[in-house]
Amino acid sequence: MKAPLVHNERFVQIFAPLMVGVFALVCWQAAVVAWDIKPYVLPSPLAVGVSLIENFGVLMHALYITLTITVIAFLIAVVFGSALALLFVQSKWIEISLFPYAIIMQVTPVVAIAPLIIIWADDTTTALIICAVIIAIFPIISNTTMGLRSVDPNLMNLFRMNRASRWQILTRLRIPSALPYFFGGLRISSGLALIGAVVAEFVAGTGGAKAGLAYMILQSGYTLQIPRMFAALFLITLTGIALFALMVWLSRLALASWHESYLENEQ
Amino acid sequence: MDAETQTSPEPTAQAPGGPVPGGKRPVVDISQVDKVYGNETRALDQVDLTVREGDFISLLGPSGCGKSTLLRIVAGLSKATSGEVKWWEQDYGVVGQPGRELCFVFQSPTLMPWARLDKNVRLPLDLKHVKKSESMPKVRDALTMVGLGDFEGAYPRELSGGMQMRASIARALVTEPSLCLMDEPFGALDEMTRNRLNDDILRLWKERGWTVIFVTHSVYEAVYLSNRIAVMAPRPGRIAEELTIEAPYPRGNEFRNSDEYAEYCRRASHALEKVSS
Repeated sequence: MKAPLVHNERFVQIFAPLMVGVFALVCWQAAVVAWDIKPYVLPSPLAVGVSLIENFGVLMHALYITLTITVIAFLIAVVFGSALALLFVQSKWIEISLFPYAIIMQVTPVVAIAPLIIIWADDTTTALIICAVIIAIFPIISNTTMGLRSVDPNLMNLFRMNRASRWQILTRLRIPSALPYFFGGLRISSGLALIGAVVAEFVAGTGGAKAGLAYMILQSGYTLQIPRMFAALFLITLTGIALFALMVWLSRLALASWHESYLENEQ
Repeated sequence: MDAETQTSPEPTAQAPGGPVPGGKRPVVDISQVDKVYGNETRALDQVDLTVREGDFISLLGPSGCGKSTLLRIVAGLSKATSGEVKWWEQDYGVVGQPGRELCFVFQSPTLMPWARLDKNVRLPLDLKHVKKSESMPKVRDALTMVGLGDFEGAYPRELSGGMQMRASIARALVTEPSLCLMDEPFGALDEMTRNRLNDDILRLWKERGWTVIFVTHSVYEAVYLSNRIAVMAPRPGRIAEELTIEAPYPRGNEFRNSDEYAEYCRRASHALEKVSS
């Protein structure tokens, strides 16, 4: 006898949240119609959808700009964050000297320093990338550093007893041990890179050919094109989810065969 | 109980550093070793012990008697605060040279979870830059020897605790060590598995001509395996008594069920009780 779909875990995982979403959208649509809410106060989901189609070209261009900044900033954060973490575990002195500044960078609100960065940087795109990097880099640094230090002490003893070089300990022991932490950092950081790109663009208010989704939201607000504002917001959310899903997929690729966190999925 | 006095040989106390029995060369020579930790804990106090070629010596004692500390010093993982340790009558530098390989089996399997079994077992050779074509036959031999011949492609998490422990023994085998240090390797296993692994270790010890230092808190295990037992006492950690188990090898279930075995266990327990109280 074929098991009913409800017992399929994967199906439930997709179906249950999807139903919540559909239900929420239906309620929203019904509320807008029932109380005759004006579109400039709260547009209906259908109106947002129509606007998405009508402004497809403009929105896609804005999405492309935001996505480019996000991805570049994220990659820079990954490369520099991992490099800094590697540096930190090589020498206690370097870590002690630099780590407080990593924290300062993390706790300073990017909105507050974005105007300065925009003044200092040569062009706005660079400024936006810098802002996004500042927000996205910390989880990578802190997670990877912790991972590189979380080595089974007995395995470390084994490596030492076999006279492993510093390089061998790094590549064969520290880096593989750090992978689960690193991928945890990636998940957080990918979302933060997007937030950084959007927030910085809000501050910069870049218009014209380089207008991203944040500017699209600002401009739609000024001109009371609220459905388009929602459409842009929807695209930002979608981008965030896509980035997160990509990170989940990457981490599954790297860890699923051996790491404990993937064990229950196989049974 | 007059049968007891007739059948059981007298365990003889052996003076540390005494005359060489059978002319066997010392593999590890520990003299007057102290280990004091930063917080003034005396983990080891004036420990003398000579381990000779072919010895299977157990360090038996309650927790906190410094038996693991002593083993770590012999492994070169920790330094004695004072006193002297010699390996093959030389400094630690000799360890790792051909014929002077040392292996360590930890309390837990200590496998790399991200590596398949063959890669785990190959690790000591990989670290020495031995070519894969040269190391793989050794890895297969070692895995076959511990009964894991069909599992070279498995990840550690796919194996049971006993199988993981076997894999960690296979990893110790590939360097063809002559001195094998074991830190309560089977403490976490069920009795059946433990007995089986004890037999495996004895077989390897004979076949490979190992010298073994084996840390355990189990009287039964110590008596079954060893030709010598150093009973250690806590606070401060020291060797309180040495027993010689003169039962012949190979030992098997017959020995396990014999009166001789029971008598040795009784004596070892008695020595242990004395130092624990």
